[in-house]
Amino acid sequence: MGKTVLVVDDDPDVRLFSVTVLEEHGYTPLEAANGEEGLKMIKENKPDLIILDVLMPRQSGIRLYRELKTDKSLKNIPVIILSGIAKKTFLRSQKALTEFGGKEVPEPKIYLEKPVEPEVLAEVIEKALS
Amino acid sequence: MLRRFFGQPKRRMADIMKIEKLLFVTKFEELGFDAVRSLLSLTKADLNHVVFINVIERDRFAMSRVGYRKDEEIRLREAANIRFIDWSEHLFEQGLEVGVYIVVGTLVSEVIKAAHKEETDLIVIGRSHKGVLEHLYSGSDVTELLRRAATPVLLYKHLSETAISIEKPFDRPLLAIDWSPASLRAVEYLKGLGDVVSEVSLVHVASDKDLKGTSAMEIQKTRKETRQKLEEICTLFETEGIDARAHVYIGDPDDEIEKAARDCQATMIVLGSSAKPAWVEKWLGSTPRKYAEESIYPTLLIPPVKK
Repeated sequence: MGKTVLVVDDDPDVRLFSVTVLEEHGYTPLEAANGEEGLKMIKENKPDLIILDVLMPRQSGIRLYRELKTDKSLKNIPVIILSGIAKKTFLRSQKALTEFGGKEVPEPKIYLEKPVEPEVLAEVIEKALS
Repeated sequence: MLRRFFGQPKRRMADIMKIEKLLFVTKFEELGFDAVRSLLSLTKADLNHVVFINVIERDRFAMSRVGYRKDEEIRLREAANIRFIDWSEHLFEQGLEVGVYIVVGTLVSEVIKAAHKEETDLIVIGRSHKGVLEHLYSGSDVTELLRRAATPVLLYKHLSETAISIEKPFDRPLLAIDWSPASLRAVEYLKGLGDVVSEVSLVHVASDKDLKGTSAMEIQKTRKETRQKLEEICTLFETEGIDARAHVYIGDPDDEIEKAARDCQATMIVLGSSAKPAWVEKWLGSTPRKYAEESIYPTLLIPPVKK
């Protein structure tokens, strides 16, 4: 069985796209429709990689990323951000939350702005897991 | 600011009414980002999460002869998504949490569903633009929402409709008290906004028939008693650090509350919403409904506790 990759995105079309790319490349995909559901699945399944959207109901990718990177048992799981929200906004938001008293979190290693070509996604997944 | 993000319990105690999370309902034509900006003063109190919702009503992409217009639905969804991304970026950068719903369905049902799912503390919605006859025969989304919502609803009025400045709607609210459980609940709601509200005007509108007695002394006694009851509520606000003033008006609440708002230079009208059954509301009307739909002031309606 291939490595497990969790896709956290509220848009079913984007989830379908990512899951198809993952399956075609031999990975085992898991899906969550928002940050809250995503965190629960991460804790239960400890995936090898997370593909994370930012703007979602219940809990955004910004808060979920922060929770992951400040949790000792989860912080080493690599994260690819795949979102319509600009990287600059993501970084500014994390900075603001740090200034309000939160812990400093590292920048995401890979940040892709939607839409993305399937071969680009496959390439960065491989890179993130290597 | 720190308490907004860290060290807070996830859900508040039932007896404290706070605005931590608001649901902003928009079709874009009636409410824009200027309205969102004007509500950001609530971050000085407890607001830390804004959820946007755009409901695409089915008649926007009616069935054509060739079937379901999926392409039109996608186009409308993406148009809303692009707008929300822009708005969200602004809020994220201020450290706020943001969520978005773009759904196809019936406005009121989808708003109630999202408010329940997200456990929001306030629903913000623009005024509907139906005519008088349409209201009479079909009722309005607003009336339906007020009837069904368990959380307070702020009816926002677009800048172009009003001559008053609504840069900070919560700055000087006018609270109309009729001693109903919902209006007393509104007192509790505003008390929790000490960092946002600078002054509350409390008004009770007494009708002519409430002025018992035939002598001036007796009428003045009624006024004095009402005023004393209002002063007791003023004291509650003052202990929370909010200035409060009591006013007694005589006449029809449907007219006098708006006059009082003007006299007090209020930025918003706050009312307890009616617990009347839907058919009574529809045919006889109610003061909260009238202000929600007709006043030039943003109108905050606090529902009674739902059983």
